[in-house]
Amino acid sequence: MPPAPALEIRGLTVRYGDAVAVDSLDLTIPRGQTVALLGPNGAGKSTTVNAVLGLLNPSAGEVRVLGRTPRDAVRAGSIGAMLQHGGLPTETRVGEVLDLVRRSFGRAAGEGTWPQADLVTTAGIDGLLDRPVEALSGGQRQRVLLALALVGAPPLLLLDEPTSAMDVEARRAFWTTMRGLAGRGHTVVFATHHLDEADAVADRVVVVAGGRVVADGTAAEIKSGVGGRTVSFTAAPGQRFEGVPGVTAVTWQGGTVRLATTDADATLRALLADGGLPDLEVRGASLEDAVLSLLPARRQTTIGATR
Amino acid sequence: MNPLFAFQLRRVARNKQFVFFTVLLPALFTIFLTKIIGGQMPGVAERQEVSASIMVSMMAYGAIGASLGATIRISFDRASGWLRQLRVTPVPQTQVFAVDVVVGVLLALPSLLVVAFVGRFVNGVQLPAGTWLALLAVLWAGSAAFVALGLLVGLALDEKAAGGAIGILGVVLAALGGLWWPVEILPEAMRGLAYTLPSYWYAELGRGVAAGGWPAAGAVLAMAGFTAAFGLIAVSVARERPLHAVAG
Repeated sequence: MPPAPALEIRGLTVRYGDAVAVDSLDLTIPRGQTVALLGPNGAGKSTTVNAVLGLLNPSAGEVRVLGRTPRDAVRAGSIGAMLQHGGLPTETRVGEVLDLVRRSFGRAAGEGTWPQADLVTTAGIDGLLDRPVEALSGGQRQRVLLALALVGAPPLLLLDEPTSAMDVEARRAFWTTMRGLAGRGHTVVFATHHLDEADAVADRVVVVAGGRVVADGTAAEIKSGVGGRTVSFTAAPGQRFEGVPGVTAVTWQGGTVRLATTDADATLRALLADGGLPDLEVRGASLEDAVLSLLPARRQTTIGATR
Repeated sequence: MNPLFAFQLRRVARNKQFVFFTVLLPALFTIFLTKIIGGQMPGVAERQEVSASIMVSMMAYGAIGASLGATIRISFDRASGWLRQLRVTPVPQTQVFAVDVVVGVLLALPSLLVVAFVGRFVNGVQLPAGTWLALLAVLWAGSAAFVALGLLVGLALDEKAAGGAIGILGVVLAALGGLWWPVEILPEAMRGLAYTLPSYWYAELGRGVAAGGWPAAGAVLAMAGFTAAFGLIAVSVARERPLHAVAG
């Protein structure tokens, strides 16, 4: 029998009252992959992550982590998680929290935990071990939470928007860390709405929208699947471009409008007929364009921001 | 020692407010009240009786504050997201709950011991050795009711409300339950209210023992009833709102 995949989700459905957050989602992740769950806010990424951790009871469907139920997998020390709403206890020092979690993994898994010196470097918490939790900055807290996810050296790492509290520099350092984790044989699944993050880190991108998987492949495959172009230029705010031939998505960045198009020729002809196109730029589709073209129209404005 | 237990104990011990309100303040109250009220007593026997009564009240006051204060903290740990974080480690949820109960029970003891020590060596309360032990034992056992109440409040209320509830509950239980002054000096209506409070019966438990007898059966029954009721409601609230639920 082949070894159980790191993560197997079948027909997962989660409802909050009448709202369907996750809609019969299927996803299988073999061991050793680095997977980005990419999608706008409200796409169902966090709900999926929480279901994998056993933090909520799905309305339907099944989740298996390394062949176990989520609860059993957590108890066995098979999962390390960085939550969106996770926190640190008051009246403690970073090193004490780390030690507590390390011991719990050590007992459960009966295997080696992450060596302290290496963990400190990997998570970037050098000099923080003796610091009271109350004295940490936002970015430092985030790195401590990452260290808590890693400390047990669990085979599956689940990171829910791990870089949301980080500045650009910290995020890039974090990406290097995440790529290193895959190199050590960990399966890493992270939720993000940063396209550049998915592009830079993941060897597989799963695009989630409306609680379903709408695309699944390498970043390159998803980009090539679109085959369109992006036309961008300066335009007066409030102008509508939705009806222009070939256009599949419209995004604004200040006074610049970007049109994703399946037929650049037709789009440009129509636009030029209307007048000039200052600062015109035409290029191949980015991952962002690809994702935008996959999402339902009403969600198109909430993704693509690379804060 | 269980790592989570040691961890939680250390956290509470670091809280200066906790140490002040549960150990230092009851000890100081014991000295002041005995000096003021005991000093007005004409004879040695009356002075002894008043000193012992005040000591028992303050032991109860300190232990109530400690049991509530140690357990209501579960609300803060939920609000900070720490309980949710702990939920995704191999630490079992039942252990998280059990450790908080044990920490609450254990932390009632320093209040009881320090106030008893002050009663004996500062105020000169004289009791037979067996009575001292029995007094500490019944008050320690009785503190379980307030551990259950603290957990109930900590589980049911959000961070801010729970923070306020510690102070309000402490004052109401002490003032209306006859810990700061005897219920006999309260107006009739308020005395009736005192009989509905666990703090009144808790102190009665201790007073019966300090007088050299058994605790009154009524007090024992009342405390057992309060403990069971608070405990059951706490468990049902916990079922309704899992420890890892951040909101709602």
